[in-house]
Amino acid sequence: MNTSEKLSPDLFKPAQLDSSEGEQIRKESVSYWQDVIRRFRTNIGAIVGLSIIILFIVMSFVGPYMNSYDISTQNYDIQNLESFSGDHYFGTDKFGRDLWTRAWYGAKISLLIAFLAAFLDVTIGVTYGGVSGYYGGRVDNIMQRFLEILYSIPNLIIIILMLLVFEPGIIPIALALSITGWVPMARIVRAQMMKLKSQEYVLAARTLGASTYRIMTKHLIPNVMGPIIVAVTFAIPSAIFFEAFLSFIGLGLRPPGASLGVLLNDGNKLLQIYPYQLFWPALIISLIMLSFNLLGDGLRDALDPKMRK
Amino acid sequence: MRNWRKLTSTFAILLVASLVLSACSFGGGDSGDAKGNVINLIETAEPPNLDSARSTDSASFTILNNVNEGLYRLDQDSKPTLGMAAEEPTKSDDNKTYTFKLRDANWSDGKPVTAKDFEYAWKRAMNPDTASEYAFIMNAIDKAEEYNAGKAKAKEVGVNAIDDKTLEIRLKQDVPYLKDLLTFGTFLPQRQDIVEKHGEKYALDPDKMVFNGPFVLSEWKHESSFTYKKNDQYWEKDVVKLDTVNVTISKDATTSMNLYNTGKVDYTGVGSEFIDSNKDKPEYFLQPESTVFYTEMNQIKEDSIFKNAKIRKAVMIGIDRQTEMDKILKNGVPAAGFVSPAIRGNDDKKFRELAKVNIEYNPQEAKKLFDEGLKELGLDKAPTVEIVGDDTSGAKDDLTFVKEQLKQNLGLEVKITSVPFKERLERGKKGNFDLLLGGWAADYNDAMSYLEIFTTGYSYNRGKWSNKQYDELVKKAQANENFDERLEQLLEAEKIMIEDAGIAPGYFRSSPSLINQKIKDMHWHAIGPDYSLKWTYVEEGK
Amino acid sequence: MLKYTLKRLSYMVVTLWIIATVTFFLMHLLPGTPLKNEEKLPEHIKEQIMEKYGLNDPLPVQYLNFMGGLVQGDLGASYTQDGREVSGMIAEGFPVSAFIGGQAVVFGSIVGLLLGLIAALKRGTWMDNLSTMIAVFGISIPNFVLGALLAYFVGVKWGILPVALWESYASSIMPSFALALVVVAIISRYIRTEMVEVLDAEYMKTAKAKGLPRRTVVFRHALRNALIPAITILGPLTVNIITGSLVIEQIFALPGIGEYFVKSIVNNDYTMITGITIFYSILIVSVIFIVDILYGIIDPRIRLSGAKE
Repeated sequence: MNTSEKLSPDLFKPAQLDSSEGEQIRKESVSYWQDVIRRFRTNIGAIVGLSIIILFIVMSFVGPYMNSYDISTQNYDIQNLESFSGDHYFGTDKFGRDLWTRAWYGAKISLLIAFLAAFLDVTIGVTYGGVSGYYGGRVDNIMQRFLEILYSIPNLIIIILMLLVFEPGIIPIALALSITGWVPMARIVRAQMMKLKSQEYVLAARTLGASTYRIMTKHLIPNVMGPIIVAVTFAIPSAIFFEAFLSFIGLGLRPPGASLGVLLNDGNKLLQIYPYQLFWPALIISLIMLSFNLLGDGLRDALDPKMRK
Repeated sequence: MRNWRKLTSTFAILLVASLVLSACSFGGGDSGDAKGNVINLIETAEPPNLDSARSTDSASFTILNNVNEGLYRLDQDSKPTLGMAAEEPTKSDDNKTYTFKLRDANWSDGKPVTAKDFEYAWKRAMNPDTASEYAFIMNAIDKAEEYNAGKAKAKEVGVNAIDDKTLEIRLKQDVPYLKDLLTFGTFLPQRQDIVEKHGEKYALDPDKMVFNGPFVLSEWKHESSFTYKKNDQYWEKDVVKLDTVNVTISKDATTSMNLYNTGKVDYTGVGSEFIDSNKDKPEYFLQPESTVFYTEMNQIKEDSIFKNAKIRKAVMIGIDRQTEMDKILKNGVPAAGFVSPAIRGNDDKKFRELAKVNIEYNPQEAKKLFDEGLKELGLDKAPTVEIVGDDTSGAKDDLTFVKEQLKQNLGLEVKITSVPFKERLERGKKGNFDLLLGGWAADYNDAMSYLEIFTTGYSYNRGKWSNKQYDELVKKAQANENFDERLEQLLEAEKIMIEDAGIAPGYFRSSPSLINQKIKDMHWHAIGPDYSLKWTYVEEGK
Repeated sequence: MLKYTLKRLSYMVVTLWIIATVTFFLMHLLPGTPLKNEEKLPEHIKEQIMEKYGLNDPLPVQYLNFMGGLVQGDLGASYTQDGREVSGMIAEGFPVSAFIGGQAVVFGSIVGLLLGLIAALKRGTWMDNLSTMIAVFGISIPNFVLGALLAYFVGVKWGILPVALWESYASSIMPSFALALVVVAIISRYIRTEMVEVLDAEYMKTAKAKGLPRRTVVFRHALRNALIPAITILGPLTVNIITGSLVIEQIFALPGIGEYFVKSIVNNDYTMITGITIFYSILIVSVIFIVDILYGIIDPRIRLSGAKE
């Protein structure tokens, strides 16, 4: 303590009070999305997942051109080559076709189908579930009955029928998947809406005169983002799987086309003889699954407005 | 809260109860190693129906062959041998009426087998009300076709039980394959009292039918398994050595392989993936078949390039079937012609051995013909064509191979359309294809079974290939009762078909299989039922 | 409550009627006929048989006949398994499918619940990531690959469990396990998502502030709320697992009903298609009904808004 310093009366003047100063924002304001990115970046699992997905998307375009083979040319002198035989990194199949090329080409097709199907699911499902849950009452009742009908038809019947009418390709498969695929999304969104709409902050917003559209987009949708994201991270893998299932029952892409489903189905039969023909597509599909789930968790945490601190 | 807990526990109790209840549905574990006189087999499909008048599939016909017996049955060499018929029939002077004497034999319930049982069963199959989908196999019998189409009465049909043990059959005209034909499942006898007692439910379960063959069906767990037991009433029961045959239904090739490898079954078919690793084993064998796979080429579409014979021929000889058989499909041999090697020609030789044609792969010649054909059509470049086939994995492999071959050898671009079976039929019927991949298996042991289907106007001829000379030869052969001349006409017809490339035969299929070496004298048939167990036994001491 | 139940029941009947109608007309768009020997059958005999089965009648007439039978509870006889009643075939196969499916759902839900809880309570730690990995593992390989792997290693190589067939309880273990992994994955993800959200809610702070033991807080207050979306998904999931086990039933050669969904369509077995569709629809409609009632019990807020209608 410096006791020798004199205390001057100046020090005891009353401070000037400015009521506006308390409201002043000193720091640069952090927008919702900046916040999301900040939170997302701290989640290692999610970053790894995102990186793998990006890597696979890039590979699905670049991979097929990394050696000199295409997906359909057959060569009976090099049937069933082991992995890493020359530039056949994944080996060859029974037609002597390069599996590296086919795997990445197949990944591209599968991802395209999945993204397209998931996009349709979300667009239709969120709109439908949102409207139904928010309005409730008679509207909800009618919409739910329709949903129930749609939900109660075994989707295989519709899907098989569609694939018999149109030839199995990227768009028909994606469309067939989303014909019933959006229903779970709509149900989840509706359930959340019903839970949230009776909460105080929505009532407050309504009392303050917020429009329905504003309440939906600003208050309700962001709050159901979590379950939606989780549903999407399931919708994408399940679309990839459903495509694989269609291959299993013989209704997948037509030869010589390739998708992860076609490759898995072919490889599956060879499990006991040439396991590597199953291993590579299975590894790719597993990593895609894992990545989407890690990403989904990370996004969920990051997007949740309640996590804002 | 309390409510919730109550609900949860109710739920749990319900769940446990349903689990316990459904546990009752487990089948018994009665299959095991081949011991004593018991063997365990695999069937790849649930037999839909064991009513011989209505059956259409090989699973049903195989069971019927082992539990019932017609006038003839197939012997160890797949030749017809006397069954319920006591002796060879007497023929009328015009060779059209056959009179059979039946042997003394009983049904499994002890009642005698009579000529009436045959007459009843056959007429029942032909009766339009039965809606049999195989009645047309009986068209060789006088007025059978008319009765089946509702244009004749039952009593006009050429089948007559003269007395309990005498059966008279009147044919439209004499045919060389009559004995073979009579081994077919639709010609098995049926008991009127049993059929009428069970009505629509006849032959849906073992207790709703009777048997007159070497075995009885003792158990049938639908979609799961069925069991044969030796028939004590069978007339030649001393020949039958097996006591029990358990048959498991397994639809997946890998599953069947796993069951075989763990000793659960003594026989399995081998999927193409498993052929290389099994083909050197002593248990490996090729089960004969009469199926030929071929490509039809569209003749109806306005701008079809396949109207040109040279282009058709190029497709026929431009595909390396030997490589396909050796390296990809591995379940057959390249087709030298259209009629299967299993089919008889005359009494000594098979049709194939006598054949006048032999399709040989020749890519240079094919390319030359293809280019010439295009020039004749005034085209610089062939348009992309669509090939339609089934969606089974075998058919997809075939399509994939053919596509690549046509591209490499002819420069013809092909788009593959693999569709479910019914869709393929529909496409074929409507002519909605350029190339159509199909297969044909014989109904009876004669080349006519193959050659008549590509005559002009026949419903099975979907490419609508038409050749006057061919039609005439087949027609002549159909009416010819001189069997040597008839054979000559059929051989000539096949030659014309191949030379004009009316269709492009691909390969003759056979089924690779594995069987426990202890099982002896299980006899396989290319036509009709898959196998006969009458003479089968288990070798002891190994 | 009675009035509500009756109202729901009448909705269910209408739903079933619409589904039966839609399926009826859709399936008649399928190419070909239900005849078994269609390929070889001479054309005029084919027409004659079609006539006999009434398949040549105008579609509206066929529809009325079909509806007449349906009202009397008669699903008709299968075309491919001629003579066998569709209802009998379903009744024979269903217990098998229900057993392996039910066992899978029970096991999968318990494990999924535990994994989800751990992940939520230890969010962001290695335990969270580990449980994600375990959950994702279950859905990272399509079940036909998983089934084949299990059958080969556990059944053939190690000989621990029967490779296939339906003979004893042991026969059900591998099929149920293969089906359960999907349930584990889905349930654990939903539980985690919801728990994370619920744990941050205000009433949780209240509960903690009251000094309630952690166990009570987690189980009574948090889990009960977090269960809602899981229950939404669990009902339909059960139905889908039971009816959609086609792949697993085929790999393990089980006599269930899964295969009828595809086989009936591919064979144009009209009576079987409608039969299996209606059966499936009744199951799912009932499940949705049960779920709605469960909602009310678990979440009183929904009961309130339900009563308002």
